[in-house]
Amino acid sequence: MNVIFISVFLPLVGFFLSSLFSLTKFIGHHESGKEKLVGVLSTLMIAIPFGIFATLFASFNGEAQIATLYDWFAAGAMSIKVSYQLDSLSLFMAMIVTGVGSLIHLYSIGYMHGDEGFARFFAYLNLFIFAMLNLILADNMVLMFLGWEGVGLCSYLLIGFWYDRKFDGIGIATTTDAANKAFIMNRIGDFAMLAAMFLIFQKISALDYNSILSQKEAFDSTHIFWITLLIFIGCTGKSAQIPLYTWLPDAMAGPTPVSALIHAATMVTSGIYLTARLSPLFIMSPDTMNLIAVVGIATAFIAATIGLTQNDIKKVLAYSTVSQLGYMFLALGIGAFGSAIFHVTTHAFFKACLFLGSGSVIHALHEEQDIRKMGGLAKVMPQTHATFLVASLALAGFPLTAGFFSKDDVLAKTFESGNYLLWGVGLVTAFITAFYTMRLYTLTFLGEARYNTDKHPHESPALMTAPLWILGALSLVGGAIGLPAVIQEQNWIQSFLSSSVASVQAHHLEHSNEWILLGISSIVAILGLAASFSIYSKKTVHVEPEGVTTVLYRKYYIDELYDAAVVKPFQFLASRLLAPIDNRIIDGLVNGIGSSMVGLGGALKRWQTGVAQNYALVITIGLILLVGYIALT
Amino acid sequence: METVSFILFSFLGALVMVGSIGTVWSRNPVTSALFLVLNFFALGGIYLLLEAQFIAVVQVIVYAGAIMVLFLFTIMLLNLDDEQALKEKFDLQKGFGILLGGVLLVEVLYILGLKINLPQKSTTLTPVEIGEAKNIGRELITNFLFPFEIVSILLLLAVVGAIVLAKKNFSPNT
Amino acid sequence: MALHDLLLALPITFATLWTILLIVVEATAKRAQLTFSLTSVGFLILITMMLFPSEQGYAFGEMLRLSPYSQFANFVFALSGLLVITLSQSYLAKENIHFGEYYIIVFIATLGMMLMASAAHMVVLFIGLEIMSIALYVLAGIMRKDLRANEAAMKYFLLGAFSSGFFLYGISLIYGATGEMTLFKIGIYLQENSATSLFWIGLSLMMVGFLFKISAVPFHQWTPDVYEGSPTPSTALMSTASKAAAFTALITVVLNVSSQTENNSNWIFALSTIAVLTMVVGNIAALSQDNLKRMLAFSSIAHAGYMLVGIVAGSDAGYSAVLYYALVYSLMNIGAFGVIALIEQQRELTSASDYAGLFKEKPLLAGVMALFMLSLTGIPPFGGFIGKYKLFAAAVESGLSWLAVVGVLASAVSAYYYLRVVVFMFMREPQAENQFEGVVLNPTLVLIALLVFLLGIFPTGMLRFAGEAMKFAFNM
Repeated sequence: MNVIFISVFLPLVGFFLSSLFSLTKFIGHHESGKEKLVGVLSTLMIAIPFGIFATLFASFNGEAQIATLYDWFAAGAMSIKVSYQLDSLSLFMAMIVTGVGSLIHLYSIGYMHGDEGFARFFAYLNLFIFAMLNLILADNMVLMFLGWEGVGLCSYLLIGFWYDRKFDGIGIATTTDAANKAFIMNRIGDFAMLAAMFLIFQKISALDYNSILSQKEAFDSTHIFWITLLIFIGCTGKSAQIPLYTWLPDAMAGPTPVSALIHAATMVTSGIYLTARLSPLFIMSPDTMNLIAVVGIATAFIAATIGLTQNDIKKVLAYSTVSQLGYMFLALGIGAFGSAIFHVTTHAFFKACLFLGSGSVIHALHEEQDIRKMGGLAKVMPQTHATFLVASLALAGFPLTAGFFSKDDVLAKTFESGNYLLWGVGLVTAFITAFYTMRLYTLTFLGEARYNTDKHPHESPALMTAPLWILGALSLVGGAIGLPAVIQEQNWIQSFLSSSVASVQAHHLEHSNEWILLGISSIVAILGLAASFSIYSKKTVHVEPEGVTTVLYRKYYIDELYDAAVVKPFQFLASRLLAPIDNRIIDGLVNGIGSSMVGLGGALKRWQTGVAQNYALVITIGLILLVGYIALT
Repeated sequence: METVSFILFSFLGALVMVGSIGTVWSRNPVTSALFLVLNFFALGGIYLLLEAQFIAVVQVIVYAGAIMVLFLFTIMLLNLDDEQALKEKFDLQKGFGILLGGVLLVEVLYILGLKINLPQKSTTLTPVEIGEAKNIGRELITNFLFPFEIVSILLLLAVVGAIVLAKKNFSPNT
Repeated sequence: MALHDLLLALPITFATLWTILLIVVEATAKRAQLTFSLTSVGFLILITMMLFPSEQGYAFGEMLRLSPYSQFANFVFALSGLLVITLSQSYLAKENIHFGEYYIIVFIATLGMMLMASAAHMVVLFIGLEIMSIALYVLAGIMRKDLRANEAAMKYFLLGAFSSGFFLYGISLIYGATGEMTLFKIGIYLQENSATSLFWIGLSLMMVGFLFKISAVPFHQWTPDVYEGSPTPSTALMSTASKAAAFTALITVVLNVSSQTENNSNWIFALSTIAVLTMVVGNIAALSQDNLKRMLAFSSIAHAGYMLVGIVAGSDAGYSAVLYYALVYSLMNIGAFGVIALIEQQRELTSASDYAGLFKEKPLLAGVMALFMLSLTGIPPFGGFIGKYKLFAAAVESGLSWLAVVGVLASAVSAYYYLRVVVFMFMREPQAENQFEGVVLNPTLVLIALLVFLLGIFPTGMLRFAGEAMKFAFNM
């Protein structure tokens, strides 16, 4: 059992080592040898845990094991332990985190080469993995919360890593502001999470998952509603759902490997993990479940349409992440917890690959992120191009890729549950997803080169492309773990996870229906890709909404049709309706709360007159009230 | 006897009040200090009425005798005879202060006006005997020995503190 | 005064004798360095004494009550005293006020706190309170040539005397209402008789004295002015150990009158209102402060609010949480003030924006400060989180979930201003080249940081002490 402790604490050791290197300024200017040493050391600290988890996975018999390190502290009648629970869900998540994590560490050695804060970067990354493993493997909510706060803190530090850079966002000017925004939004979620923990504690005086789930009958329905609602609010903060999602696009201010690791593959999925972990509790509250499904699909749709209009390569991917997370919450909301985790897995593969690919492009173009100034990179960056294409197809849900199976699984389960409206919107969103994915790919890699010719882009070193290839391959074949019933009777991931997550759906679709759904999904994806390809592979520069009218003549009729019927309405929706909501209302609300608090603080300042006599007067008032209240009544 | 002590108490009480108000009201610091002396004497008288002879004597010796003399010396040394400088305007804050004081007074008087049963202490000594210096002294070095001793630390602290704050030579020793 | 009493009250006997020794040595040798060393030794001996279980009982004819409770409290005071003087030395030297008397006064202040925590009689309680307060007035005004410090000391003295007057009046009214000055006899009287309104006035007046010392709203306004003006190491002592002392004394009093306050909705309402006001006003006012000492002053008001939540909970769990929090809070706040003192003495920099780029120049110092800030915010795995968790859990157990929720919400607000400091240290460029030259990290700060961290990941031992302190506190 002790191997679990080793695997959880190795990243912490890595953090201390890298911090030490950072403090002692071990790496001088451009000393790539020392850089490699630090990088490889940190990568090993993640890769070894991955090896351990993989070994455990190979010999896993489905039984949950709990390993207790020591009693952390006692609160009231119960004691909170530092103990880790290894069951199918946590093991699976831990493998994703360490697996994708070590690939991204490897990539970062190349990406961060020559950066002043090289060792500091790896220290933060290792600390992040440590916190994430605590979040996933904890057997009680307090330890989980330690990880929850820890990943938030690391994300905060990493978003603001290049703190002196300008960053263009909504109401923010620098990366530090972006980090602050992320942190404040997450605090709102954290508050809800703590409140939920206190509610649970009040009822059953315990906070470990086993006690909560085994005593779930102790909660009455109002209680369970509030608990699940508060947990869900906590998850919307961390997993960027409506209304707390606007921090994620701004979080792209961090270095790209961070976006890949934290803001795509791992941290943002922790809300989905936690909901799945507490799934027996959630299915007791149908109201919350419905809310989750609606919020999920609404987020998926809105974020996808916004993704259509973005020109920053990372912003497109960020909105796409928000949108895909919406799909996962949709799956949670309809009770298909296994499908949600399945989508988490494939999404981790292809989105990490896309982000790393975009990092490779940004690197090659000297920090250029605007896709209008890219194009034609397929020839100069063949490896990045190939892997990016594969991952894009997976994101778009091209048949037989990993993303296809997982997204189809979610949609099929939605259809199965009888929520045809949700399914319909999900399908439309799938179309938009395919559309903006192809737009992104085409504008970046195909067509003529629109970047400055003096930039001389080149392929990234092998250290960076190797992870791309691995992730690309996984995006292609990763779907094998959750093949639909028509292909393989026993869905592997569903049955693997069945021991740790709840399941509500007993009835199954007929095979014929399932084939039809698969077919529809394929057609939608291919249509979206084709439509987008036909528009953007011919257009070169005019990709902004206002530019659309100027190119109307030169287009085929079909393009105009697509443009008028699909692109324009959505772009209109996104830029005229949703973006203002995004900017003004949600950001305004969050900023408003913040600034009104600060304003209130300023008002309180006026009471602080500095005159001792006034203070004495206030003390007397307090005295009169206190005596009056306590002694008179 | 009851009426005599009531009349005496009223008279002394009135003096205490006149003394306190005069202390605050008077603009001349010396007058102010003299009002305070009046206040202390009257208070000593009230202690006597309560058959606390020792306390009454201590009150007069220590406060009216020692402390007030020191006060007056300080005032005279500082030459605080500029009455205009000490003049304070009757401002809103002062009025508010008086109002609050009044509210507090009414509140406490009202609560104390409610019927309250006070506990009776059983003791073998008569009230006169309790107030004697001999008995107070005995209490102080038997039951109250610890507080009596530990107050010396308080005094020690006051001495050290006064030295630190008033030390003439401001170059620190190392 | 039997020998047995002296031995039973060994910590206090020792501290008294040591005080006299210190004064004699300072008066004859006149060497501040020597006095410093001897004071540290005194504190170290006290701390060691507290680590061993000792006899419990009443000493000096029910004047003092020695128990694991007072032991835990004394441990906190002596530790705080020791840490404060080690952080003071260079500051005092820089400000040209390196007097040996400074250390003596800190030591006497600690003695006063110990008296407060061990008092079984209200007279001793009052004397302890006065010893502590007068010592703090002197410490606030020790920078005699600094106008702000003079103002701070004067304000503190005037308002402190004002509140002490109420406190003493309260004691006399309670004596009048119950005929007792010994706390446990008051408790017995109150169990047998109902409380009169005279008693309630007395208790309210005493509460005003306590609430002033812990700077609860609306008795808090002196705090920012005094904390800002006083020499920073003195502020560290004022904001931590003196609050801890006031809290331990408050618990002693409240426990002895618990037959009247338990399940008394008026009492709970009044106290929880004050707790809520304190948390909200403290945190919100801290948001708009740029001067770090003022910010920490408001933050210390907010922390008093959190601790009041434990008092309102009125259970052993609540009280032991207060004890634990007092320890953790003392450590992290002394640490934070220590960092401020370190930078202030070198560069006269006290606003949050002045800390820009500290990480770049002094990474370890910035890391230590960040740890204190995170712990004050209550982020796991630091001590502050466990403390807050225990406090709020105690409130939940006592059926005051709403109070816990307000507390959590208030501390969510606090994250903003604590992290602002972290942002400046880690994510901004220094305002000038070599901004922090000459700032040398005091190893004591690293030790404090380590303790705060350890109290976060291995809190069980300390929590057990705090719990046992309550278990055996008043069952004699």
